[in-house]
Amino acid sequence: MMNETLLEIKNLKTQFFVRDRIAKAVDNVSFTIAPGATLGLVGESGCGKSVTAHSIMRLIPEPPGKIVGGSILFDGQDLVKASERQMRTIRGNRISMIFQEPMTALNPVFTVGDQVGEVIHLHKRLSKQEVRKRVIEMFQRVGIPAPESRLDDYPHQMSGGMRQRVIIAMALACTPRLMIADEPTTALDVTIQAQILDLMNGLKSETGAAILFITHDLGVIAKMAQHVAVMYAGRIVEYADVRSLFSSPAHPYTVGLMQSIPVYGMKKTKSRLITIEGTVPSLFNLPRGCAFSNRCPDVMSECTVTEPGIYSAGNNHMVRCLKYA
Amino acid sequence: MTKETTLKDPLDRHPMLEQLSQLWRNKIAIAGLVIVIIFVLAAIFAPQLSPYDPLDTSLYDQLKPPVWHETGTWEHVLGTDDLGRDILSRLVFGARISLMVSVVSVGLAFFVGTLIGSVSGYKKGRLDNIIMRLMDIILSFPYILLAIVIVAYLGPSLTNAMIAIGITYVPRFARIVRGSVIEEAEKDYVVAARAVGARHWRIIFLAILPNCLGPLIVQTTLSFASAILDAAALSFLGLGAQPPSPEWGAMIAQSRSLILRAPWVMTLPGLAILFAVLGFNLFGDGLRDALDPRLRD
Repeated sequence: MMNETLLEIKNLKTQFFVRDRIAKAVDNVSFTIAPGATLGLVGESGCGKSVTAHSIMRLIPEPPGKIVGGSILFDGQDLVKASERQMRTIRGNRISMIFQEPMTALNPVFTVGDQVGEVIHLHKRLSKQEVRKRVIEMFQRVGIPAPESRLDDYPHQMSGGMRQRVIIAMALACTPRLMIADEPTTALDVTIQAQILDLMNGLKSETGAAILFITHDLGVIAKMAQHVAVMYAGRIVEYADVRSLFSSPAHPYTVGLMQSIPVYGMKKTKSRLITIEGTVPSLFNLPRGCAFSNRCPDVMSECTVTEPGIYSAGNNHMVRCLKYA
Repeated sequence: MTKETTLKDPLDRHPMLEQLSQLWRNKIAIAGLVIVIIFVLAAIFAPQLSPYDPLDTSLYDQLKPPVWHETGTWEHVLGTDDLGRDILSRLVFGARISLMVSVVSVGLAFFVGTLIGSVSGYKKGRLDNIIMRLMDIILSFPYILLAIVIVAYLGPSLTNAMIAIGITYVPRFARIVRGSVIEEAEKDYVVAARAVGARHWRIIFLAILPNCLGPLIVQTTLSFASAILDAAALSFLGLGAQPPSPEWGAMIAQSRSLILRAPWVMTLPGLAILFAVLGFNLFGDGLRDALDPRLRD
């Protein structure tokens, strides 16, 4: 049943104060994740996906950033109000993070075994031998061959895919309830990407952890998520289950994203690949009304004046566009 | 027959090994290392190496020339000073003092400088600004002058000279550490360390600092050289080691009047200082070439 919620974000606002200007990186974002479910968060670079993720972990560098409003209810606890000490017991233990760059997310001067062991050491009271045993177990689970010997490797001795497996092992080490995967496959090549996604899906059903999956790749979303939120300029512009999003995208931005996926075997005669005109507006200087109005193919005169609210575009399908008002 | 393939690339060695072999190939740096080792061995085995007590005066053996002089004898290989003390013995014990001064003062500067530099670079903002302006103030004094002021305040003694040199060396360590900490703190593994629930001090000292060791080691080695020089300078001015201590700077100071009559009394401790400083500097430069990837071609 989808009634219970693990994570409930309400009207989250994260802003960055640079000199006398304010960037509304996350503006009134709300969504929920049920235990064991996967929510995909899609959007272009700079739309606020990662800031949302870092806000949940309370890893926004302060200053210049600050969570100025809203709440993040995790297991009934409001993380926005949690102290740093409380956050430390949550990070890596109940909520963990998988990073984009397996090259830089591991510390180059320590062995991978030490780094996975450190997470366990920070949260569980275990002896050295027990930690080591657990690390080997984690390595086996994420499919690292010969874990006993790979344990003592330094990150540079491993391939990108293996390093990403180490990072997933780190994220899983304390069996968290929620994993935030921030573009976990973007830096990997396609075959490794498929392996990692399969691995994550397998581990998810094994451990029952929920995943917040952040990506700009709609193909990956189709494979991973049950629900999808599309972000644009710090706001969620469309929210739907994965089926209805792909079958009947509602927001012109989502439609544009779908159209700009190249299709294999597309006839040369058919025309060039469709793209979304223009670029993402600066967060310091958003257009009036709808933030997408300056690029929208269906723009109406009203769009540049009124900020769109949230409207229904079908069963449990929300869209922030005046076309559906 | 097919060759067995190994999983690991044999050329993919640990970066530290790479750096060590780079250092080994640098003959000048190795020459520096040899001098440093001789110096350290002399300091450690001073009682065994010195033929006489460095403080024993002898009325009959005043100003004996070294062995290569026409009237020199093997009895006093490097001659004697105006009180008949054996210069070789004094130089060997002087190495002990110089080594101690450099270890203590550089150790002090290393500890304090690394601590405030890393906190400063990690916290940034206001605290960083205050600390670094303070360091700028210390750096804006000619540091031997600052050391003189500190010794003048604390009173002349070898211990106070070590403290003074230590204090004047804090800024260079603080600056270097701060610079590399700022650079490292931007990296993903620091965010990753926070994301697994590590405390700030743990991130600074156990995650970031080990990545900043390269420039720190180089700075330490080079500081040994200047600490020896500065300790000698302070002693020469009468603010460091006090007579009859066989400190090299003090030995030079005491034999100034003999420069024409018995030049070896003053020249030999000068040469000792020269070689010790040169050794650390050559080795430090070699380390810098090996450890700093920006300087590698």
